[in-house]
Amino acid sequence: MTGIKKTQAKDRLRDALGGKQRQTLSGDIKIENLRKVYRTDESETVALEDFSLEIKKGELITIVGPSGCGKTTILKLIAGLVEPTSGTVTIGGEVCEGPGPDRGMVFQDFALFPWRSVRKNVEFGLEIAGVPKEERRERAQRYIEIVGLEKFADARVHELSGGMKQRVGIARALVNRPDIILMDEPFGALDAQTRNIMQGSLLRILEKTDQTILFVTHSVDEAVYLSDRIVVLTKRPARIKEIVEIDLPRPRDRASVEFTSIRKRILEELEKENVME
Amino acid sequence: MSGKTIIEMLNYDKNDKRHRFARRAIIAAASLVVFVLLWWNLSLLLANPAIPTPQKTWSALTYLFAHGDSVSGVTMWSHISISLRRFVYGLLLAMAVAVPLGLFLGYSETLREFTMPTLEILRPIAPIAWAPIFIFTTGYVWGPILVVFVGIFFPMLTNTMFGVKKIDPNWIDAAKTMGATRVQVFTKVMFPAAVPYVMNGLRVGMGIGWMCIVASELYASFGGGIGFFVSIMAQMGYWDYVFAGIAVIAVLGLLTITVSDYVHKFIVRRMGME
Ligand SMILES: Nc1ncnc2c1ncn2[C@@H]1O[C@H](COP(=O)(O)OP(=O)(O)OP(=O)(O)O)[C@@H](O)[C@H]1O
Ligand SMILES: [Mg+2]
Repeated sequence: MTGIKKTQAKDRLRDALGGKQRQTLSGDIKIENLRKVYRTDESETVALEDFSLEIKKGELITIVGPSGCGKTTILKLIAGLVEPTSGTVTIGGEVCEGPGPDRGMVFQDFALFPWRSVRKNVEFGLEIAGVPKEERRERAQRYIEIVGLEKFADARVHELSGGMKQRVGIARALVNRPDIILMDEPFGALDAQTRNIMQGSLLRILEKTDQTILFVTHSVDEAVYLSDRIVVLTKRPARIKEIVEIDLPRPRDRASVEFTSIRKRILEELEKENVME
Repeated sequence: MSGKTIIEMLNYDKNDKRHRFARRAIIAAASLVVFVLLWWNLSLLLANPAIPTPQKTWSALTYLFAHGDSVSGVTMWSHISISLRRFVYGLLLAMAVAVPLGLFLGYSETLREFTMPTLEILRPIAPIAWAPIFIFTTGYVWGPILVVFVGIFFPMLTNTMFGVKKIDPNWIDAAKTMGATRVQVFTKVMFPAAVPYVMNGLRVGMGIGWMCIVASELYASFGGGIGFFVSIMAQMGYWDYVFAGIAVIAVLGLLTITVSDYVHKFIVRRMGME
């Protein structure tokens, strides 16, 4: 009797603290009629309109669209960081309410903790999950090496370049092995060469897991290189303009005829969206 | 010849750290010399027993540190240690209350709206105005400590709240996507993010706190402390002792501010949040 009461009280306490840490069984995402309006005192911005998409576990989807159209908003809605105005996001059969460690996110502006070293930033999620210190260190070290920052493991965030910060953000999200990884222009601050290396590493990491990836990018080249499907958005409010399926074998040859023709077509689509009215 | 070297020093090389330091040291020393000379002249001019000369003050000082005075029966060291101890207790107490409260108030708008009207009424009251009440209700030990508490509490609170306002919402979002509960967001993001601001509150608060401790001890009729010492000596007309006490207060105040400046800088730099 008291035992039941106690657990109920505990559950309630956990809910009150916002600790909805239920782990989803799979990485399927189903987005239905999502709409998002940002309201401030002076203005209303419709960021997303009539957005529906189904993503299967293990898929790598990229989102491309004109700047400011609502790409980050889509990721934040899936992450549960932003409430939809209407519509639903269903993750592994459950309607998403609030953020959870099953959906990791790489932030466009990195969102690193400046009071922590690179290593401690990467360990953050493991610390939250209660992973013991030794294991935490080992796992973090692996991902720090994957993103090529082993020499900077004990550096402070403010000592890093933009590209390095971005790689810390990537390691910090990947190390927790979430079912779903939401990446907001994760390679945007990297130079062309590092960018290509990181694309390769990302694909190699994903080969071994069945994580679902949603990847926002401004680079159509990157989208064609990485994706199973590319979601092309209209200008704000973002709607789906087109979904392009890419079934070229990996690793893809950026110079091949198929590659360049797909890239050209998507670029043309985007250019139409960017034309001023 | 020495005039020439001083001019050379003032015409210093801005990029040389040693030059900058030497220049500042010379100017500071000159300022102190001028101050002591003014004081000396004034005391001779007024010939008032309540304004002793620098020499008399100095010999009183050395005597007090070595032998103490016959009224309180203890040396200056023990007055200093009594005051400093109260100061530190008040400081710790203020931190323990103001920092968590500041984090909560920065976080919850409702709580802020509920608490701020009361706090805004209490804030403009000079902390020392509480001294008679605190001393009457809690005694000569806790009274001054509570006055220090009030003095440090407000700058600490406002700075902490300001720190919370400055938190990048993306940090909180990032923590949430890694599974942080609300409590963990509090302890692992909001608290560390606010630390530099808390430290700034500490810096401001320590200056005020030191004024509060001395002022509140003036009210005390026993129990020791530098403020108490000054007030007793003034009542008995030992003006050179009064001046010696004031000099100690000044030096310790300067020390407190220097230390807190240093701690502030050190922690902010240590946390990579300049
Ligand atoms: N919290 C917010 N409050 C009000 N408006 C917002 C908010 N967040 C985003 N917006 C607005 O919603 C629109 C879409 O923003 P979003 O960040 O999703 O676009 P984006 O495609 O990611 O842009 P970018 O290409 O610059 O990354 C923009 O007009 C933006 O100003
Ligand atoms: Mg964006």
